[in-house]
Amino acid sequence: MSLGLETLTSCFQGIIPATLYTCAADGTPNSAYLSHVEYVDPSHVALSFQFFNKSRRNVEENPQALVRVVDPDTQQGWALRLRLVRSETSGPLFDRMALRIEAIASYCGMKGIFKLLAADVYEVVSVSKVPEQPGQGPAASDRRGLDAVFTMRALQHLTERISAAEGLEPLIDAILAGLDEVFGFSHSMILLPGEQPRTLITIATRGYPENGAGAEARFGEGITGLVAEARKPIRISGLMRGMLYAYAARFRAEEAGWCPAERRIALPGLANPASQLGVPLLVRGDLVGVLVIESETPYRFHEDDKQTIELLGAYLAMAIRNAVLQEASEAAEPRALPAPPPREAPAAAAGPAGALELAYYRADDVVLVDGEYLIRGLPARILWKLLTIHAAEGRAEFTNRELRLDKTLQLPEYKDNLETRLLLLRRRLEQKCPALQIASRGRGRFALVTGAAVTLVERP
Amino acid sequence: MIDAELALFLQQGLAINIGTRDATLAPNAAYAPAAAVEPDGTHVVIYVPVVGADAVLADLAHNGQAAVVFARPMDDRACQVKGTYVSHRPATDDERAIVRAQWDGFMQQLEMIGTPGESTRTWITWPCVAIRLRVTALFNQTPGPDAGARLS
Repeated sequence: MSLGLETLTSCFQGIIPATLYTCAADGTPNSAYLSHVEYVDPSHVALSFQFFNKSRRNVEENPQALVRVVDPDTQQGWALRLRLVRSETSGPLFDRMALRIEAIASYCGMKGIFKLLAADVYEVVSVSKVPEQPGQGPAASDRRGLDAVFTMRALQHLTERISAAEGLEPLIDAILAGLDEVFGFSHSMILLPGEQPRTLITIATRGYPENGAGAEARFGEGITGLVAEARKPIRISGLMRGMLYAYAARFRAEEAGWCPAERRIALPGLANPASQLGVPLLVRGDLVGVLVIESETPYRFHEDDKQTIELLGAYLAMAIRNAVLQEASEAAEPRALPAPPPREAPAAAAGPAGALELAYYRADDVVLVDGEYLIRGLPARILWKLLTIHAAEGRAEFTNRELRLDKTLQLPEYKDNLETRLLLLRRRLEQKCPALQIASRGRGRFALVTGAAVTLVERP
Repeated sequence: MIDAELALFLQQGLAINIGTRDATLAPNAAYAPAAAVEPDGTHVVIYVPVVGADAVLADLAHNGQAAVVFARPMDDRACQVKGTYVSHRPATDDERAIVRAQWDGFMQQLEMIGTPGESTRTWITWPCVAIRLRVTALFNQTPGPDAGARLS
């Protein structure tokens, strides 16, 4: 007979902590809080073995355990009578649980301290309602169809919207807009591989006060970096919010020490995300980027979402890779569009005091605008090249091809990512220096539009 | 046994759960909306809703062993009080105010971390049975490397 465990998966998201009750061979009971109960299959769950050594010792002596969980939607309490059947220290279940713990620890600046020692797999002997914790609203079993957000139908809607996008920039925007309008995820971002090894750089965001373009993340740090390192999706739903708060200050301090503040753009993010999802964008094992979705409400990721999330990641990766390749190949033979739409003059042009000082620090490979950090690396070199040509020759029209052939820009020989760096530069200028614009002039062509008198200063 | 600081912590309105075990060493448990620490710190009274108390009371009558876990949602500070059964009785009307005040404190905790208090108002908090335990051991259970360490 079915226990109905599969209808209780929203209880296993860690939104409301579970309690674990065990008993030693000498008859001493033990009670402890658990951050997370992992659903394994319709008759098994797994518990993380990290800290609660007494509970662990008890189940080795006496395999009977009781776990009480609460449905975060209805508040109904459920009691699961368990029996320990095995301990896993490797394999997909262990990896999934370890990654989740590492993601939270990383967020707290405590990476390596919170560590999964084993995934303890329990047979679920019985499931019953907790009488003093009655719920309200429809039972979990009645809501199951609604819980899966990443349905095939929703994915179909998203892919229809994405496939209509022509070019990398419209594609990236269509993905984030689609996630908002089709799935209701209003805070999201896409990061692509950075110039330095094992780094990612934010190319586009949606829902945050600042567009965050150019913000960097290192592999292994935060949900973004862990997704990149593990190349697996990570879902965090509301769990251990207390930990997040307790260690937030420490994490931020470490983060601040990582790189001088004026030379690094902060990664966009909600102050108190209740749920987060990181999806690796992989094409044949090659990391094209990372998609991060955040929400202020605890989102109940359904078990059925796991497969569709991976499918979504593979599809988005392929779409982005194709768009980059297509733009790069079209840029090799630039041609003007029949009639590029007229663009408004940059905002600062209308203002009375439109003077800007841009400074390039050669040693740091950084461009500052009026003393404030603007961008570094390849986008900085591109901007500086455009500005110096514009100043010397008065030329404002450029092609991707001439940039690609320009050895002084030091583009990598392989996978130069010029198009993504131009997109990054355009987004960063929109955010921090609207008086300068990179305006498209057709495939492989663009113009530097200046709405202010620009002074250039080059420093060693 | 329980010092003044810990007594304040335990009585502020926390997530409280009592665990017991039966003759076959199978665990049982109940949710408790409130707890009181007696002035000398050697005994605690755990308030358990009558509707959920049967298995726990049967176990206590059988073997008297209890493990009560307290946790503060805001920062995950948690503590386990082990004890042995002394007695139980219906909670009085005077004690209802204690239960209500601690339950309200717990609701405020939930609101501080962004979980609306209404969400757990469906839980039954009254009438309660007052279970008196003699404290035998205290353990830190705040998540981290020191979880499980004896407090006194």
